[in-house]
Amino acid sequence: MLNYIIRRILQSIPILFVVLTLVFVFVRVLPGDPAVAALGDYASKEAVQALREKLGLDVSLWVQYFRFLGNLFKGDLGTSLITGYPVAKQVIRVLPYTLELTVCAILFGYILGIPLGISAAVRRNSFIDYFNRVFSLLGLSVPAFYLGILLMYLFSIKLMWFPVVGGGDLSDPLDNLRHLFLPGLTLGLIMTAYITRMTRSSLLEILQDDYVRTARSKGITDRRVLYKHALRNALIPIVALGGLYAVVLIGSSVMVEIVFSRPGLGSLMVGAIKQRDYNTLQSVMVIYAGMVVVINLMTDLIYGLVDPRIKYK
Amino acid sequence: MYKELSVQQKMWLTFRRNRPALIGAVFTILIMLIAIFAPWIAPHDPLVQDPAIRLEGMTSDHRLGTDDFGRDVLSRIIHGSRVSLVIGLASVLLGMVAGTMMGMIAGYYRGKVETLIMRGVDVMMCFPDLILAIVITAVLGANLVNLVITLGLVMMPRFARLAHGQLLSLTESEYVLAARAIGFHVPRILGRHIFPNIFGELFVAATLWVGVAIRLEANLAFVGLGISPPTPTWGNMIREGVDVMINAPWISIYSGLAILITILAFNMLGDGLRDIADPKLRGV
Amino acid sequence: MKKRLIAIVFIFVLALFFTSATNVLAAAKLAKKQVLTIAFDAGDSKSFDPHRSATTVDRSTVDTIFNGLVRYPPGNQVKPEPDIAKSWTISKDKKVWTFKLRKDVFFHPFPGQSDGYKLTSEDVVYSLKRASDSKHSAYAGEYKGVSFSAPDAYTVVITLENPMSGTLFLAKFASYAGGFIVSKKALEAKGDDWFKIHPVGTGPFMFKSYAPREKTVLVRNPKYFRGASVLEKLVIRYMPSVSSRELGLRTGELDIIEGQNEEKWVDKISQLPGIKVQAFGPCETQMVHLNMTKKPFDNLKVRQAVAYAISRGEVAAFMGSSLAVPIYSSAMAPPAAGALTKKEAKKAGVLFEGNIKKAKALLAEAGFPNGFKAEVIISELATSYRKPMVGIQAQLKKAGIDITLKVVDHSAFHSLIRDDASPMVLYACWRPNADVFLSRFYHSDSVVVSGKKPDTNFSHYGTVDADGDGKVDSIDDLIEKARLELDTNKQSAMWRKAQIQLLKHAAVVPIIRLKYAFPMKSYVDLGHPLVFSWSTYSPQITEKTRILAH
Repeated sequence: MLNYIIRRILQSIPILFVVLTLVFVFVRVLPGDPAVAALGDYASKEAVQALREKLGLDVSLWVQYFRFLGNLFKGDLGTSLITGYPVAKQVIRVLPYTLELTVCAILFGYILGIPLGISAAVRRNSFIDYFNRVFSLLGLSVPAFYLGILLMYLFSIKLMWFPVVGGGDLSDPLDNLRHLFLPGLTLGLIMTAYITRMTRSSLLEILQDDYVRTARSKGITDRRVLYKHALRNALIPIVALGGLYAVVLIGSSVMVEIVFSRPGLGSLMVGAIKQRDYNTLQSVMVIYAGMVVVINLMTDLIYGLVDPRIKYK
Repeated sequence: MYKELSVQQKMWLTFRRNRPALIGAVFTILIMLIAIFAPWIAPHDPLVQDPAIRLEGMTSDHRLGTDDFGRDVLSRIIHGSRVSLVIGLASVLLGMVAGTMMGMIAGYYRGKVETLIMRGVDVMMCFPDLILAIVITAVLGANLVNLVITLGLVMMPRFARLAHGQLLSLTESEYVLAARAIGFHVPRILGRHIFPNIFGELFVAATLWVGVAIRLEANLAFVGLGISPPTPTWGNMIREGVDVMINAPWISIYSGLAILITILAFNMLGDGLRDIADPKLRGV
Repeated sequence: MKKRLIAIVFIFVLALFFTSATNVLAAAKLAKKQVLTIAFDAGDSKSFDPHRSATTVDRSTVDTIFNGLVRYPPGNQVKPEPDIAKSWTISKDKKVWTFKLRKDVFFHPFPGQSDGYKLTSEDVVYSLKRASDSKHSAYAGEYKGVSFSAPDAYTVVITLENPMSGTLFLAKFASYAGGFIVSKKALEAKGDDWFKIHPVGTGPFMFKSYAPREKTVLVRNPKYFRGASVLEKLVIRYMPSVSSRELGLRTGELDIIEGQNEEKWVDKISQLPGIKVQAFGPCETQMVHLNMTKKPFDNLKVRQAVAYAISRGEVAAFMGSSLAVPIYSSAMAPPAAGALTKKEAKKAGVLFEGNIKKAKALLAEAGFPNGFKAEVIISELATSYRKPMVGIQAQLKKAGIDITLKVVDHSAFHSLIRDDASPMVLYACWRPNADVFLSRFYHSDSVVVSGKKPDTNFSHYGTVDADGDGKVDSIDDLIEKARLELDTNKQSAMWRKAQIQLLKHAAVVPIIRLKYAFPMKSYVDLGHPLVFSWSTYSPQITEKTRILAH
């Protein structure tokens, strides 16, 4: 097991290296100039050139690339090209907001989605099943930002129940939760749709399996079959694919952060693109990629824990 | 005695009994027809501006009201279907062609080629779809062709993985071994013998991923990386509508509904197709 | 009967008196929490260094932190009045200006100077020299040929190589851009990079904290020389989505928001309970600059056709007539000094009012009977760029000119147009005066890419033959002469002459002047009228701004 973990981590190193290079290239080929972005429309060309030199943008790309890698290995993400604020500080400030949003959505999805999925699978073709299928199809189809806009208008404008500005104060849990509710609900509903659907289909598949049929024919009551045999096996893909959906969720969180003007990695990234803030942008992209790599690794490991059939070679 | 049904007949029966799939198919076709015949269906020219009737509500002349240039919202939604469909279908097709080829080559040759291609796929899969799409669009700039390329690139690794996985189980199969033994050329083996066997799976996935591509395009438009005005697209309409939500909430709500219905139709269709393709669930 | 009537009337009058009296009392009563939150249409701050800040939100922020030698009165920025300088004298040859400084001006505390320190002429000279240095300042170009000295601790002498009129001179030393006075000690101890996110000034508010992409918090400066502010805290929020700002204003999380400069939206939001909207100007002019080096815009007739095809009235109507007014001047717009009015433009024959027929005829004469195609780059910002351009696009189409728009984000837009990438540039801005405007947009030195000091001359005016007579047309002389002219009437006349020449050659098509709208809660009392404000593009927050009880 430990060997496997170490090997997987070693395997992801070259991938991460290529990711870093890719990120660097992506960011540099963006049209636009951070010096112009920083100085605004009133600045003269001289002033722009002076700033370019100061920001280290006048040296060759190779030098910039090795500086980038070197600093990254030292754990230095650099400072924002626009504001001069340290990128690491920026990221640390917003990361909790993104994490709480994602975790909240995943929890919401599992807590609501698994029971919904089970109820649908057990009473197949009933009203509940029908309702669940429509619900989960809607959840799979709706763009997160559209759902966010609809919820915002319903709860914040019509009912005025929830605040709409920012992400709340992290040191004040109640305030923070009030701010988290609507964005969390938006992503949570989408996650619920995924989990419901997955629970239903994997449970249905297992209920067709021979051993469940045997168990049933032996006269074991439905309920026991369901919980003891079927559910345990159905959980494997649910957990495994949950990781996959977490990756999807990270993407959607970008939109939700923008709609609800919440601080977070997503709004940091989009802002950095708009301002041509190379340092911030490349750091955020590296973090996103790192998150995906870690999630994939964790999913694989959890998969192994729940499914004893998988052996780590 | 029951008459034995052929596989095709069985599939058709399953499909017909699968009501959501049928509804999905009907809607997909309907939306495609709307896109094709948009200029004839739309009551107004979607580009004609009129400052005198800006942001007006629903009237008999403008069933879904007007936007902040006095343009007819219904006509813009009808025309907007073109961009969404073209981008959704073309990018998935592009991703499918490129990705499948990569996946098949990797799965067939194995070894270094496989490592190279599949590690490349891993690298691309390290970024969430939307983040990859945002950055590539920011680099290329947003226009119809570039958006198709961007989303095609985003779809490519998905298809590559799918095709690769399918191929791993097929290359060892008897008829492929036989084809190899006979000395068929690789393109022929891949094209004639392997591709038809994995096409079903790819097609089902493609149907579902058209919805994903359409949604990605709307997302890009919403963050300001959509097709340039005045071309009506649903994502742009939501974005512009949000700014005037206080005056005209219908612009965002209806264009969002158009996106939702379209993606829903593709998802329902794809779901139905998968049920048919997956023998385990057939007849369930 | 009569008595009863009198009694009733008496009671009625009494009641009326009391209610109105309590109203008056209530109106003067202040809210307990004097915290004002203002949200801007911006993703983030770019710099709190006043010599670098250029965006609306940053200009508005530094305006509360710093002072200049002189200032324009808040909300009515027409005539300069004393700020840090209490008085000034001018030498006869108008080359030497002597400023006497106030003695009660203190800098905000900063690490190493926990009580702040008293401002002296040393700081002023340091600050102005810094503003003239392109390594530290985006406004260095404004201070060419100007030198500074400090004969004593409270006297500053500014010497010019060439005499300059008072209007032009004072604009450079007002509390705006390079004119802001920064702390010498803070900068010398901490450096530019620190200062950029920890500004130290003398204004009514002191910098407290900055959360990137979210907010900046400023607090009351108890030692402000005009008296401590009523507000104890000023929160500046960065919120690029107008719907979020609007929601925040409704829920009361925000007190003032940057609105949409769009009449119907303003109408709607001003109908909401507890919200008032004040539109103010001059704010910005929108003009289309035509690149005379790019085909087919090198042809005078084509450019005139473009000018005829555009309907200013219609573009203004998209924004609403209470916010947008058509303009006919190619440098600034009325009420600015020297800007061409409609009457004057008509008299000079450079009106070019929307006329598709004429446009088509001109195109045919120029050899484009079927029109032509062009790709134009435009910023995604809605009311200043994208919206007017989409309107213009539809108008040009009627004349057969088929414009493809390439919408890019705002910073990409600014670098692309400076690289000469767009044959047609819609530019929205306001400048301190016509001299700055003309120099930066039409002087041959300012030509993008190839000029001596590349700036924003997108039309390449001054380097090409604009009217086809074989000679290069230029207004460089007029600009330079006007700059040295001390008689304001003669100066304005020269500026007008330059504008008429530019319009004759259709190097630029003036479109509209757009006022801004900042909806706010009715309990916000700015403490000054909001009539004419050009330096911050937003309502200024001063020591007198307060929140009434509500």
